[in-house]
Amino acid sequence: MSGNDILHLDLTELSKHIGDRELSSVETVKAGLARLALVDNKLNAFITVLREKALAEAERADKEIHGGQYRGPLHGVPVTIKDMFETAGVPTTGGSKILADWVPETDSALVERLRLAGAIIIGKTNLDEFGHGGTSTLSHFGPVHNPWNIDRIAGGSSGGSAAAVATGIGPLSYGTETGSSVRRPASYCGIVGFKPTFGIISRHGSFRGAWSQDHVGLFARSVRDIALGLDPVAGFDARDPASVHQERPAYTARLNAKVDGLRVGVLRRFLEGVNGEVRQSFEAALKVFASAGCRIVDLDVPELSYAAMTSMVTSAAESAGINRRWFRERHQDFVPHVARGLAVGMTITASEYLTVQRARHRIREAMRATYEEVDIVASPTTARVAPLLSDGVKGNGDDTRHASYNQSNLLRFPSMLGLPGCSLPCGMNTEGLPIGVQLIGAWFADQTVLNAALAYQSATDWHKRRPALFDA
Amino acid sequence: MRTCRREKESPLKDSEKIAHRLLLLQGVHFSPADLESIAAEIEDLDRIVAELEEFGRDAPWISLQAQPSGKKA
Repeated sequence: MSGNDILHLDLTELSKHIGDRELSSVETVKAGLARLALVDNKLNAFITVLREKALAEAERADKEIHGGQYRGPLHGVPVTIKDMFETAGVPTTGGSKILADWVPETDSALVERLRLAGAIIIGKTNLDEFGHGGTSTLSHFGPVHNPWNIDRIAGGSSGGSAAAVATGIGPLSYGTETGSSVRRPASYCGIVGFKPTFGIISRHGSFRGAWSQDHVGLFARSVRDIALGLDPVAGFDARDPASVHQERPAYTARLNAKVDGLRVGVLRRFLEGVNGEVRQSFEAALKVFASAGCRIVDLDVPELSYAAMTSMVTSAAESAGINRRWFRERHQDFVPHVARGLAVGMTITASEYLTVQRARHRIREAMRATYEEVDIVASPTTARVAPLLSDGVKGNGDDTRHASYNQSNLLRFPSMLGLPGCSLPCGMNTEGLPIGVQLIGAWFADQTVLNAALAYQSATDWHKRRPALFDA
Repeated sequence: MRTCRREKESPLKDSEKIAHRLLLLQGVHFSPADLESIAAEIEDLDRIVAELEEFGRDAPWISLQAQPSGKKA
């Protein structure tokens, strides 16, 4: 099998070939590294590449598998991780000059679990500095480019991870999300992005954007691959105060594309400013769900018109708290836009922060009631396709600072409330740029979200489209 | 009974409010252009917090509470 053929295999297929010893981990890792070397000068998706280390680990994985010690679907598989996760003996920068030379001594919880599962980490991906941004242009290491059009942004803050998966540099990547940092780049890069319920994956050993909204999430090309990547990394970890006790993860085993009777809620009032082509693709996606037997329910949750503002103030205050010391001592080393954002956060008083948490509580209660009426809330993931890199941080166009029916409220409420969410490719615009639909479930209804997403992918082939760079 | 008499407070001007907030930056220096941009965002922040205060007025204040083991939260 050629290197290119290997890259076309999804995680499900790749795991089977490696487990059956029809394909070696070394061949697979080499294919991923070769693709990375070929395209990363165009994407700038990576901060650190672990070539020698990854090949040595792949050799060890092959020996184990040949010796009958197969660990499971991630064994011997090349994966990438956002450079937010600490890796023992490997630089961990957070996309920042402040930590450009920092080498941690221990692994983050995510990396511990990936190593236990036998996954091979081939690189650490580029991001907005410490996750503070939605474009992946705010990195000390330069901006990430979109694989579908390198003049466009990949979205952020986990843009490097999304760009890597979209171009076949490993079938799976792990990122983080505080506002929309998994779902947005997944949508802009035409892949699947999933963030579970708050507390499902441990954040121990990853940098904090805003502790009450931070999640670990995943990128892959199919929903089945997301489930395969979620099982080994989910589970309780006492080192993360938000971690939840849960039964042994079995998301893959419980995948079921039968969604007959599922109630899918639509908040039409929030779609007014959405781009025409994006809206058309979304309406077409709703028809797919209706054909699969879902009941489409029109909803109105006016409280959500305060979601973006509440999320932004919460993030600003918490990130200022987290970065307080560096802000005082090394503010000139932050990316300027990030430094200005932290400065604003530093001026938020304790009473203001607490006042905003009351607003957050009111939105949470409104959504709790909503999930009595529906199982899933569906919407376009973003109001538009990936904006031009030259538009900078304003390009996303969703910096909502008023109570409004702007779609960005729908983008930000899931992380603010800790709800599970999945963005799926659901169309292409006339310029050949991907469009995404997001499915948001109730707390701990992660399986429902994954099943609905699987049902959609079983009936469509948008997730099978690849950018030209994929066959570079 | 002792009472405390307060002088009638005059409301702060917007520019004074922003200056008060900038004091919270604890001596970190920014360029005039950066300060202008930060001040504009602070103005926005004042308005946003006021809107959210009104919106969240009847919601309870947040608190952390543990539940007795074995009882449903």
